[in-house]
Amino acid sequence: MSGNLLEVTDLRVTFDVHGRQVTPVDGVSLTLERGVALGIAGESGSGKSLSLKSIIGLLPPNATVGGELRFALDREAPIPYAPADVHGHGISIIFQEPMTALNPTMRVGDLIAEGPKLHKGMGKKEAEERAIELMRLVGIPTPERRARMWPHQLSGGLRQRVMIATALSVEPQLLLCDEPTTALDVSIQDQILGLLQELRTRLNMAIIFVSHDLAVLGEICDRLAIMYAGRIVETGPVDEVFADPQHPYTEALMTSVPSFGATTDKLIGIEGRPPDPRDFPPGCRFAPRCDYAQEDCTSADHHLADVAPGRTTACIHPELIEGLGQ
Amino acid sequence: MSDFLEIKDVTVTFKVGSTIAARLKGDPPPILTAVDGISFEADRGESIGIVGESGCGKSTLAKAITGLVPVASGSIHLDGVDLAGKRDRATMRRIQMVFQDPSSSLNPSLTVEKMLSELLRVHEIVPREKIPDRCAELLELVELPPSLLTALPRRLSGGQRQRIGIARALALEPEVLIADEAVAALDVSVQAPVLNLLNSLRENLGLTLMFISHDLAVVRYVSDRVVVMYLGRAVEDRPTAELFDNPRHPYTKALMAAAPKFGVKKKPGESALKGEPPSALDLPSGCRFRPRCPLAAEICEQTEPDLTGPSEIERAACHFAWDEAPA
Repeated sequence: MSGNLLEVTDLRVTFDVHGRQVTPVDGVSLTLERGVALGIAGESGSGKSLSLKSIIGLLPPNATVGGELRFALDREAPIPYAPADVHGHGISIIFQEPMTALNPTMRVGDLIAEGPKLHKGMGKKEAEERAIELMRLVGIPTPERRARMWPHQLSGGLRQRVMIATALSVEPQLLLCDEPTTALDVSIQDQILGLLQELRTRLNMAIIFVSHDLAVLGEICDRLAIMYAGRIVETGPVDEVFADPQHPYTEALMTSVPSFGATTDKLIGIEGRPPDPRDFPPGCRFAPRCDYAQEDCTSADHHLADVAPGRTTACIHPELIEGLGQ
Repeated sequence: MSDFLEIKDVTVTFKVGSTIAARLKGDPPPILTAVDGISFEADRGESIGIVGESGCGKSTLAKAITGLVPVASGSIHLDGVDLAGKRDRATMRRIQMVFQDPSSSLNPSLTVEKMLSELLRVHEIVPREKIPDRCAELLELVELPPSLLTALPRRLSGGQRQRIGIARALALEPEVLIADEAVAALDVSVQAPVLNLLNSLRENLGLTLMFISHDLAVVRYVSDRVVVMYLGRAVEDRPTAELFDNPRHPYTKALMAAAPKFGVKKKPGESALKGEPPSALDLPSGCRFRPRCPLAAEICEQTEPDLTGPSEIERAACHFAWDEAPA
């Protein structure tokens, strides 16, 4: 079965803050094909995590969600769904901090068995066996022994593996990953990324991976969406976006991080800081920090225009971008 | 020795919690050796990067050098002066530290000006009447507008807070600045300016910089020399360019392979380093990297390799590090 698995149209997340409407996610549209890994890159406050959480209905109660979400599950074409209905039915999520995301009062095996019991109608015995099978699948050594342990007895890497096993226990077609490796050491991060890549191919699962780290996204994703101030500013295949960014923010992000492969003379970084969601600038929200900003940028409407097959940008002057000269 | 900062065989140990049963039996509490015989020297104005994963002792080493935790054995000399025992105010001033999380390391109830002027007053850096001027100068030094003097930390952005953290360290006119994961908590777009600031401060003020991080790329950007730590030990200590071009220790190689790189796709199930570091309370015999090392041989089980190499500045702690001729 091919075609779109998930379609998000004009997603808007609004909070009521002391009587004022704040919209940290402001018109995000995405489509995701089956088995594809999409990366969403952005800095803190860009709305990337909120977008992810709205897909599975995990927003705080004071949030209002607008726009349309469509999910295909086993059907041919995506149909609208209520986010609360997909828990355990097709979509799972893993979080950044496995210690706070795992229930500390449940043994690891019981945690993983909960999904199969609740959503797959398995009996206690069967679910426990399934848990051990899943622990083996995510590479936890001696799963029979570890299933009896509490989350606090495990290392950070193993906890993250437990969380992945929990997410996989309901056989999702889409795995949402909210910075799952940010809190981990590089060598453990490397192992978890390798594991996710393996599971993805083996289970033909689609992934949305949210991170601030472009290099991490590059290792695991097929497509990339760059978010800034509540909006997607560029999309495209990972390699093409890296090779030839079509939005100044993408380019600036890439020149802000020391590249591992080469000695950099001077990092450029971005002047100023990301805008406050309570006070987004008019027009292109990146314009106040943009090196290429023109007069008409501050009045431009946000619109993702096609620049090449499969590539879009919100920049109205992409021709000005000089490129990275690599 | 003409070296400015000289760290020799520094070991830091902690007593860790023992069980009630062990205490009733009268067993001594287990001792955790967080830093285990680290030695290196730094010249005036040199920048040393310390790299390692969590639990390798890099932060403890920083605290030991700053005098925030006691040293169990070994010595720290600054400009020929032994820093053993209790340091007086004038000595403490000479080594200052910038911490990882600027929101928890700044006093939330003090304005920037109060925070800085208190330091200047207590340490008698400048005459009282000059304190306001000096505060403004310090802000200029870290490239912040003087209007922020009246701000409380919560009003500042992450990058600004970290700059205040740096200004606070610089207020005491230190000769050594230790930055412990100073940019790890910052957004990528604001990391770069802070790194550039540290680099320019080092050049302009002649500071010796010790930059501690888990991020190899960041360390490469700011350091002349890099010390790689694993479970309390230095496993490689070499000039930055040489280390990155041709890592000698298998752990350094693995760390580099594990770091995500632009444009390189991850292969399913692939990882550079298998397993996790053993507990520092229960170290393997011989080389402590042995259980995870692809090169491990019999000798590694019996003898812990020394940190040695062809010269004083090119050292690695692996039995096989220097087998082939350096490229």
